[in-house]
Amino acid sequence: MASRLSIPRILLFVVLLAACGKAAAQAAKHNIALACAGCHASQSGPQPDTPMGRGMQWPDSDPLFKSHPELNVRKGPYTYAVETKGTQSIYSVTDGARTISLPIRWSFGKGAQTWVLEKEGELYESMVSYYPSIDGLGMTTGDETLAPQNLDEAVGRKLRKGEPKDCFGCHSTDAVSIGKLHLETLEPGVTCEHCHAGANAHMVAALQGAAYDTAPPDLLRLSSEDISNFCGQCHRTWESVVRSGWRGEINVRFQPYRLANSKCFDGTDPRISCIACHDPHKDLVSEDSSYDAKCLACHASRNESANASAQAASHHDAKACSVASAGCATCHMPKVKLPNGLMTFHDHEIRIVKPGAPYPD
Amino acid sequence: MGQMEPLRQNDLIAQASAARMQNDVPRAIELYSQAVERNPKWPEGWWFLGSLQYGTGAYIPARDALSHYIEMTPNAGPAFALRGLCEFETGEYPQALADMQRGISLGAANQPRNEQILRYHEALLLTRLRNYPAALKAYSFFAKKGVSNPELLAAIGLAGLRMPLLPKDVGAEERELVSAAGEAAFRFLAGDETSAAQAFQELFQRFPQASNAHFLYGYLLFATDPDAALPEFQQELKVAPSNADAEVMTAWALLLRNAAAEALPYAQRAADQEPMLPSAQLVLGRSLMETGDLKGSMEHLEKALQLEPDNLETHLALAKAYSESGRKEDARRERILCLQLTSGHGIAIEHP
Repeated sequence: MASRLSIPRILLFVVLLAACGKAAAQAAKHNIALACAGCHASQSGPQPDTPMGRGMQWPDSDPLFKSHPELNVRKGPYTYAVETKGTQSIYSVTDGARTISLPIRWSFGKGAQTWVLEKEGELYESMVSYYPSIDGLGMTTGDETLAPQNLDEAVGRKLRKGEPKDCFGCHSTDAVSIGKLHLETLEPGVTCEHCHAGANAHMVAALQGAAYDTAPPDLLRLSSEDISNFCGQCHRTWESVVRSGWRGEINVRFQPYRLANSKCFDGTDPRISCIACHDPHKDLVSEDSSYDAKCLACHASRNESANASAQAASHHDAKACSVASAGCATCHMPKVKLPNGLMTFHDHEIRIVKPGAPYPD
Repeated sequence: MGQMEPLRQNDLIAQASAARMQNDVPRAIELYSQAVERNPKWPEGWWFLGSLQYGTGAYIPARDALSHYIEMTPNAGPAFALRGLCEFETGEYPQALADMQRGISLGAANQPRNEQILRYHEALLLTRLRNYPAALKAYSFFAKKGVSNPELLAAIGLAGLRMPLLPKDVGAEERELVSAAGEAAFRFLAGDETSAAQAFQELFQRFPQASNAHFLYGYLLFATDPDAALPEFQQELKVAPSNADAEVMTAWALLLRNAAAEALPYAQRAADQEPMLPSAQLVLGRSLMETGDLKGSMEHLEKALQLEPDNLETHLALAKAYSESGRKEDARRERILCLQLTSGHGIAIEHP
């Protein structure tokens, strides 16, 4: 008990740190999740270690570099290495005659990881990434078709103007404000404030007894369509995928797009939204069967379907599966590999999959 | 010769061909004219006649001769392109553009020199017909290849400043402005954004009251950095407060920033000023949707669709509006339409 601060004391601690200058303010940010947990324990407790919470990591606290102090791969004429010594991780590429080495500034991702590098004032996406599926380095997804003509190009893909805002805007918090990128203020990963705009102010106000007046908008009240677009700001909205023309298996990563393509998607039905199945504050549940109840919120069970009045009473307006009564996602949301074969995703376009049918765009 | 003793058709064709090979254009035209008069079903005769007449500046008869050829050879890309060039000269601009684009789609621009001529004229026509975005896109072909000359820069300037003129029609008092705008836009389209930024700043200093100068810079920035474009559109509205296009783009940039409440007044003004402008109806519909007025949103989006049925952005917005309002089947129909509109436009993904 003695080690636990009461909520007001946590908040006071954070506010005082924030008042003590930039460095202290930075330290204060790291305690915000802790402070939020004072009132929102079930959300703030597990969230920092989720894939979103660790959507970006400082290299010196990235567990990958501790468990893999040396990573190497050869791609064509170039050999890539990521070597960690102490708290510094260096990304290198060599053609045998010359070597370019750059410190890794930002690690993007918790499982699969891509690194953002800085070279001569420009930001680059590393040409190779770490993939858990091979426990090693492979070409960064989307860069497979790049054919570097020299060592400088082999380092990575130079980020286009405006692109860093998208990368850092999704993988960190407070990196973008009023349309401008501020690398100096970012906090790695998705924190409370990232999704709940105003959370920090709400926390401070709570100290003064104004918690209820300052609560950020309740995202649970959003319609399924709005939730899809909200999550899609990073996971890609249906619109952004269509505009970009990303067709084929590559778009299986963009779940809001895939979900909206499902025949059963209804923008006003809360039973089919991102948060109907996923709690963004917790790690992804990977057991297919754990989602059965979500499907059965709409679909009748086989017993009900034999009894029309029972089905009507249950509000299970979609028909029962004629094949199975469990493991819905296994068949109706099949796993699809990205074209590079290095990552696999459940297809969120819920459907009856016919053998041999092409991937539906 | 034809008046003295009529030649046999084969002899006539042979002599016409010989005159053409010897570059005796007037005689070749005379002989081909006789040949097609005797045998109007001879396609090549019409083709040679039309192309020779074009070369002499006889654009109306050339156009008509090429029309005969096209009737018999409907997939002849070069004939469409050449007829388009004739119509350009005779001032039949909409028809010229249609023919030019049909010719290009049928392969008339496959040869590099032809490609430059056709794409340049296509861009001139797009500007003349007020399709400025498409004109700038067409001019980017030259910028990326590093092809530049004063007339081209003036032409780009006209498209950029949204002046529906041909370079030859620019008044002396506007030439410097048009050229300076063209130079700045050319640098941007060529990918040299740093140099373009400097050229635009010089343009703004020299011509602070020039309509559409800030709009042009904002428009170019918008594709890769809408946030950087926003202040340019807002500056344009200070120079030209009744610029509905600037209102539209300001609203659109704000919508992309998730600032729909800020976007709404700009969108409303755009729709008030130009109610028949599809993009004005679109941004108003979108702004209303994002601020919670679904009914009003759908009214304006459906109006936008009537004005421009194949606009992807309108279909995207309608899909969302229908989905939000529980019209599941309508939303699905719009989504399918969007996918159809973008099918075959796939690009390589560039984000991890």
